[in-house]
Amino acid sequence: MAHAAIAEPQLRGPQAARANAVECVGVVKRFYLYEHRTTTLQEFALRTILRRPPPARSATFQIHRLDLCVAHGESIALVGANGSGKSTALRLMAGIYPPTEGRIVVRGRLVAVLELGATFQPELTGAENVELYAAALGFSRREIAVRYPEVVAFADIGDFMQVPVKYYSSGMRTRLAFAVAICADPDILLLDEVLAVGDESFRGRCLTRLARYHAAGGTLIVVSHDLWTIRQLCSRVVWMENGEVRMTGEANTVLDAYEAAASRAG
Amino acid sequence: MLPDLWRHRELLSRLVVRNLKMRYQRSVLGFVWTLLNPLATIVILVMVFHYIIRIGVAEYWAFLVSGYFAWVFLQHTVATSAGVITDHSYMTRSLAFPAEILVLSSVLARLVEYLAELAIVVVALVVFHHHGIPVSMLLLPVIIVIHVLLAIGLAMPIAAAAVFFKDVQHAVPVGLMMLGYLAPVYYPLSLVPERFRTVYLLNPVAAVLALYHEILYEGRLPSPMLLVGSAALATVVCVIGVGLFRRQRALFAEII
Repeated sequence: MAHAAIAEPQLRGPQAARANAVECVGVVKRFYLYEHRTTTLQEFALRTILRRPPPARSATFQIHRLDLCVAHGESIALVGANGSGKSTALRLMAGIYPPTEGRIVVRGRLVAVLELGATFQPELTGAENVELYAAALGFSRREIAVRYPEVVAFADIGDFMQVPVKYYSSGMRTRLAFAVAICADPDILLLDEVLAVGDESFRGRCLTRLARYHAAGGTLIVVSHDLWTIRQLCSRVVWMENGEVRMTGEANTVLDAYEAAASRAG
Repeated sequence: MLPDLWRHRELLSRLVVRNLKMRYQRSVLGFVWTLLNPLATIVILVMVFHYIIRIGVAEYWAFLVSGYFAWVFLQHTVATSAGVITDHSYMTRSLAFPAEILVLSSVLARLVEYLAELAIVVVALVVFHHHGIPVSMLLLPVIIVIHVLLAIGLAMPIAAAAVFFKDVQHAVPVGLMMLGYLAPVYYPLSLVPERFRTVYLLNPVAAVLALYHEILYEGRLPSPMLLVGSAALATVVCVIGVGLFRRQRALFAEII
């Protein structure tokens, strides 16, 4: 069962209340870990001819079961220990890879900022990368030209826009990636640990901009370890553990429980 | 798939421009340099096939140029497409977009080069070989479409395979070279014994090249069977190739 990204325009009026921005129904995600994966054609051919068995692999379920509905305009956070499946869930929603089982439905334009600006080509300059990224998100030449100054202003990396991205610090990369994402004005915004990087001033600007985004009806899904920021931004929190949803509900309630469990364990 | 591609046309055009820029930005002579290489090869091939082997083809140079660049286009397309997904892993890993765009950008970039070369070839043939413009040349756009379909059909599965197998990029040039000998690149179709000719033409590359020779070198309209047959073969290869690519596409982000 595949990932279905329905690029419907935003629903208006009473219909919007019924439709969800993102739906994960019965989602399971399994990855295979290979002790030794066949990486050359040579090996593959030999193996086939000599009728050797395929290399041993073990299955790891990053997501055992995920049922999640995010309504339009909601602001939610995924929290949990490392390896609990939060980032995998985000990537599934972003359509990076399909779920092993289950169905994911996305209604509206979705932009995800994952992996600290990994969407950039290191050899290209910041400016070139912004244009390429924007084009990859589906913007036309004119739209890119219109939004470009805003991106530059928000990222605030000055002359570095004309420097190849490989010379950027991770903070600069994140700022640029986030700037493009937020200026793209998507219907749904996914952020993976983005808010952790960057100084106070940047974080402040991010929060302000995200508040504006939320007020305008944008849907926000973040993964973060920064619980304080989550309390500021999000109304609902989903606590994931071992690839399943352990608890979901009002932000403060879930976060209190999460923190309590963490201090018990530590 | 097609509406998806239309939505991403801006990305596609940027990737094509970037692909072409990267090839030429470092060379002083630019495009002229990429012409000199095949030109030098053609001179040597004419010397070998016309003067040494004495292949017996009238105005061998005209025969050779009418198909050689078409063959080179296929070679280059497959060669550059092989690495295109892994080269752009930064996109595949963190963005949801049709990876076919990457392969297509590679094909289109090589097509731009080929069309420029073809323009020069056509002019040379019109002036020095036909001394006029044969009507058959009007079919050129049709042949090019068939040609591009074939290129896509070959490039897609190879690009997908290269994601999983590191040595595809090395194995491909070898395989292509062999395919080149089984197609009328250096020798005309007429030299292939009649009883083998039908099987020989089942090789879509051979069929397309035969078409080019007919309309460019011979200056006559190709037989409808050759035209339709080639179109069918190219379409089949394209459909299968793209199909194979799409089957593996979901796994790209997990492997890279």
